[in-house]
Amino acid sequence: MTARQAETAEATKSGAPELIKAVPVRHPGRWVAAAIILILAALAVQSLATNPRFGWGTVAAYILDVNIVRGVGWTLLLTVLSMLIAIILAIVLAFMRQSDNPILRWSSWFWVWFFRGTPVYTQLIFWGLVTVLYPTISLGIPFGPALATYILSDPTKGFIPAILGLGLNESAYLAEIFRAGLKSVDKGQVEAAEALGMRGTKIMWRIVLPQAMRVIVPPTGNETIGMLKTTSLVLAVPFTLDLTFVSNALANRTYQPIPLLIVAAAWYLLVTSILMVGQHYIEKYYGKGVDNLVPAAVNPAAAKAAAAGGTGAGSDLGTGTTIPGGPTAAGPTIEESGR
Amino acid sequence: MSTPAQTTPNSQPAPAPASLRGAKDLVRIEGVHKYFGEHHVLRGIDMTVKQGEVSVLIGPSGSGKSTLLRCVNHLETISAGRIWVNDELIGYRERAGKLHELHVKEIAAQRRNIGMVFQRFNLFGHKTALENIIEAPIQVKGQDKATAKKRALELLDRVGLSERANHYPAQLSGGQQQRVAIARALAMDPELMLFDEPTSALDPELVGDVLNVMKDLAKSGMTMVVVTHEIGFAREVGDTLTFMDGGVVVESGNPRDVIANPQHERTRSFLSKVL
Repeated sequence: MTARQAETAEATKSGAPELIKAVPVRHPGRWVAAAIILILAALAVQSLATNPRFGWGTVAAYILDVNIVRGVGWTLLLTVLSMLIAIILAIVLAFMRQSDNPILRWSSWFWVWFFRGTPVYTQLIFWGLVTVLYPTISLGIPFGPALATYILSDPTKGFIPAILGLGLNESAYLAEIFRAGLKSVDKGQVEAAEALGMRGTKIMWRIVLPQAMRVIVPPTGNETIGMLKTTSLVLAVPFTLDLTFVSNALANRTYQPIPLLIVAAAWYLLVTSILMVGQHYIEKYYGKGVDNLVPAAVNPAAAKAAAAGGTGAGSDLGTGTTIPGGPTAAGPTIEESGR
Repeated sequence: MSTPAQTTPNSQPAPAPASLRGAKDLVRIEGVHKYFGEHHVLRGIDMTVKQGEVSVLIGPSGSGKSTLLRCVNHLETISAGRIWVNDELIGYRERAGKLHELHVKEIAAQRRNIGMVFQRFNLFGHKTALENIIEAPIQVKGQDKATAKKRALELLDRVGLSERANHYPAQLSGGQQQRVAIARALAMDPELMLFDEPTSALDPELVGDVLNVMKDLAKSGMTMVVVTHEIGFAREVGDTLTFMDGGVVVESGNPRDVIANPQHERTRSFLSKVL
């Protein structure tokens, strides 16, 4: 045994192991890939900056144009309201689909079949033409007098058919997302709630839906961003104040389609980015208990004991329960829970 | 064998242990059958559980013991027979010799008095331990939040988990989750507690804590029906031990007698495997 080996053995015996300091594996491919990507990116930037036909001056002139900004506003309003209609309908449809009542189940199925089975563009044209079938909508007593009347055939009122068309179409897709979410919640959750004397609606709203939201939110965020861009189809209604229509109109007037496409794209990207931030926080909220485990208060004495190299066994908080985790148990201990 | 009566064969109700003589029957199960499609899971079960009794059900998997337990709070509907809890017919109303299904609302009301603990805990994953316990008292019984919280903290203390009140189920070990689940059931002040293999999903070292909580509960006079493989628990805490196999009660009696001196070959062979 050399002196060095003896030294190591000594160190090991005294409790501090010799940590491995290995030479890491080299990854030359990464450097090559980075170089290629950088060159391509530089070429793209150079082209964007030096090609006068991109018309950056025009982009700058129109990016904050009153009509464009109003178009962004209308596009946002269309997105938010049609998603709101779609979400409300989707919850109802998903609950109906799980109902014991066969009539409700079949109606829900039929709705999804119909609205998912026809193109949204066709539906939007149809909703525009509803004004021909029904020039006015009246709220009143069935077969009796009308209490309030809304004139649909007024050409400035394309907004209502537009959000109806977008919302009803979307509800069919969202209903399937919500159904998948509800199904993802373990049946034992419902049984436990039933055994406590809770009932259908309450179990759905308080136990199942909040946990299903974890699964529902990411694809719904996806759908919302999709909807933002689907609103560009509302010219089919016709509704002509949204971002795509306005920027196209300006492009046709100025004979400069490329800069105005860039303007529209920039706005869509900005709004999408903002929506993604919102989605992040919603996901965080509904991830509580699973993805988002708030660091719970830890008994300081136990934490200290654990940090000092407790093996885990017997270092629990005096409850007599052994918790795995040992030296790293500075935060709450997470164990396989089978869920 | 001490007395012949203690090991009455087949589906005769077990005689009451001495300490419970005179207590009223809290659970009465008469002629219960259960089919899952073609599968005849329960083939005529008769059983009574007296107030304050700890009744332990054992048997091989597939013997119908968990199904029977789930029939008591109507999580499963029975195909034939009757079950009463506290003289109330479970799941049905009998009028003029005809059975009428109870409304969901009435079934929910019956379940309020029957606590249940599941093999897989089934704690609500999006709620902390404390929130799990106060959910039903607030939502079902209409208790105010402060009262429910105070009681929940007492119950958490009772199961030894005071400092885990604000942990989510995913932050708790299996044994801790199961103890929270017991506290959650107790928060409704049930007169009967059903345990469906409460320790079967636990690491061996965590079983003891859960069994200790159950022992304390039994000592406090709670009526309990326990489906378990813990023969030690049955011997120590049980007032009655019922061995089921193939959807029938094979034998029933004082746990110490049944374990030490099984009368049936099937009981003997089962016990020889689990002991």
